[in-house]
Amino acid sequence: MIAAITGVGWVSPESMGSGRDHRGLEPKDGKLPKLTSRMVFGDVLPRFGRLDEYSKLGLTAIAFALKDARQDKWGEKRPAGIIVSSIYGCLATDMEYFKGVLANGGNLASPNLFACTLPNIFLGEAAIHFGLTGPGFAVNGAQPGGTEGLCLALSSMFLDEIPVMIVGTCDPGCPPLFPYRVEMTTGALFFVLEKYPIDGSLSYGGLDMTRDGEVLFNGAQIQNLTTLLQECLPD
Amino acid sequence: MAACIEGLATPQGRSMVTALVEQLFANMQPVPPDAALITATTKMGIDNLEKLERKRPAHLPDILLSSLPELVSQKLGLGTTGINISASCASSTIAIARGAGLIASGRADAVLVCCADVVTEFTFSGFSALKVVSASPCRPFDRARSGLSLGDGAAALVLMTEERARREARDCVAVVRGWGASNDAFHITSPDPDGSGLVSAIGQALSRSALNESDISAVSAHGTGTLYNDLMELTAFRRVFGGRRIPIYSVKGTIGHTTGAAGGIEVALAAKALAERTVPPTAGFKDPEQGAEGSVSASAVPLTGDVCLTTNSGFGGINAAIILERGSA
Repeated sequence: MIAAITGVGWVSPESMGSGRDHRGLEPKDGKLPKLTSRMVFGDVLPRFGRLDEYSKLGLTAIAFALKDARQDKWGEKRPAGIIVSSIYGCLATDMEYFKGVLANGGNLASPNLFACTLPNIFLGEAAIHFGLTGPGFAVNGAQPGGTEGLCLALSSMFLDEIPVMIVGTCDPGCPPLFPYRVEMTTGALFFVLEKYPIDGSLSYGGLDMTRDGEVLFNGAQIQNLTTLLQECLPD
Repeated sequence: MAACIEGLATPQGRSMVTALVEQLFANMQPVPPDAALITATTKMGIDNLEKLERKRPAHLPDILLSSLPELVSQKLGLGTTGINISASCASSTIAIARGAGLIASGRADAVLVCCADVVTEFTFSGFSALKVVSASPCRPFDRARSGLSLGDGAAALVLMTEERARREARDCVAVVRGWGASNDAFHITSPDPDGSGLVSAIGQALSRSALNESDISAVSAHGTGTLYNDLMELTAFRRVFGGRRIPIYSVKGTIGHTTGAAGGIEVALAAKALAERTVPPTAGFKDPEQGAEGSVSASAVPLTGDVCLTTNSGFGGINAAIILERGSA
C-alpha cells in the first residue's frame, strides 16, 4: 500500500459534506449550491467572498476532506500537497475577466479577477488557510475522472517526496456561453491521502498503483474518483 | 514590454500556440512513440478566447489546457494522450519534476515534457493590472528594475533512463539529479519575503540528488525583475549558499517571462550552459541589488563545475527547483 485514504469531501448538485458528515441537497436543475464561507469556515475566511465560483467550489471540498481527516486545525505549517484535475477549470472566470478588459479598453482590467484566471490559484488559498507547504498544481487530461492526478500523487508518495497529498477534481461545468461542451460531472471531490496515517481508525482503505499506472483501492482497480468515493462509502 | 516571436502564422482560427508547437518540433530529433507525455501551459490558446469574445472565428478546443498534450501527441504520433500540468510560472518546472518522478518510480523509461505559452492581450492586461509590467526590457536583480517583460516561448525535453538512452545511442545533454517543490502558504500573488518556500524546494532537490549546496556551480534564477520576486530569491539563495558568491543568472532580460514555459526553457538553457561551461549573461543588469554583487553579471562568465540549480516561483505560492548535472554529450 502506498497511502491510506483518511478523508473525503465533496460538493455536488445533490449533496455536500465529508465522508463522515454529509447532507443531501435539493437539486435545482442540476446546478451546484451557492457556497458561502459560513457553510464551512464560519467567519474565518474573509477572502472567500472575493473568490470566483471555481475556487469556492474546490476550496470548500478540500475543507470538507481535511475536516473528515481531522486535519483542518493546525498550529505549524505542514508538508501536504494538493493536486486538482479539471476539464474547464477557471474558464468561466477567464471569460468574465476578458469581458471586463474589452468593456474598458483594457484600462480597468481587474487584478483580483486576473489572479483567479489560473486553475491552481485556489490551491494557494487552501495552502494559506490550512498551512500546507507541499506543491499544489492542476492537471488537465483529455478524459474527466481525475485518475491522472491521483497517479501523480501516488508517484510522489511512493518516492517519499511528501507524506500527505490532497487529490481531487473540481469542475463547475461548461460556462453557459461557451459553445464547446465536454461530457463530465460537475462538482468537486477531494481525498486526503496519508502515507503514515496519524489515526489509523480514520482510514477508508488503502491505495496502490501498478507499474502501468492503474490505481488500486483495497486491491481492486478503480476507474475514476467517483467510483473511488463509492468504494469508500459503500452505503 | 514583451518579447514576442515574429511571424507566428496560424491556420484560420487556430491558436498561436499551435504555430509555436509546429516550430518547436520542426528540427527536433525523433521522440520515442512510447514516451509518456507531460505538457505545461498556464493559458494554452487563450488567444482563441479573445477571438471568441470578439466574435471572430476560433477553434474552441484550443482554449482548454488539455488541448496542448492532445496537440503534441497527435503531431508526434505518440501512444498516449498525455496530461497537462498548470502551476503558474512553475508549471514546466513541476512537469519536469513529475516526469523525472515517473522515471525514478519505474513507471516510465521515457517521458516527453513539452511546455508553451504565448503573450496575448489577456495576459498582458492582467499583469499590467497587477502593475508588474516594465515599460522597458526587464532588468533582473538590478536596483533600477521596474517589473517583468512577458515573452512567447516553448521547449521540449526528452527524459530517459540512463539505460534506455545508452541503448538507443541518444546524446545525454544533462542528467536530472534532483527536484523539489513547495508552497509558501503565505500570499496568493506575493512570495514569502523570507524565501522559506524556495529554500524548502531547493533543500528537497539537494536531498534527492545526494549533493551538497557546495556542489552547485551556478543558479538559473526565476529572476523576473519584479521587486518582490528578486528580493525573495536573493534572500533564499543567501540562506542556502551562505556567504559563497555563486554565479546567479536570469535569462528573462533576453527572452522575457514565458510564464508556464519558463521553467522548461530555463532547464534547457541550463543544460546548454553546462555543456558550454559558460554562465549566461543577465541582460539589463547594471547596478546590483543588495546581495547580487559578485554573483550576477551582465556578461557571460566561465562556469566552473558540473552542476546547475534552476528555480521558478509563481502565483499561488508555488516554488520548484531542479538540479542538473552536465551530461556526456
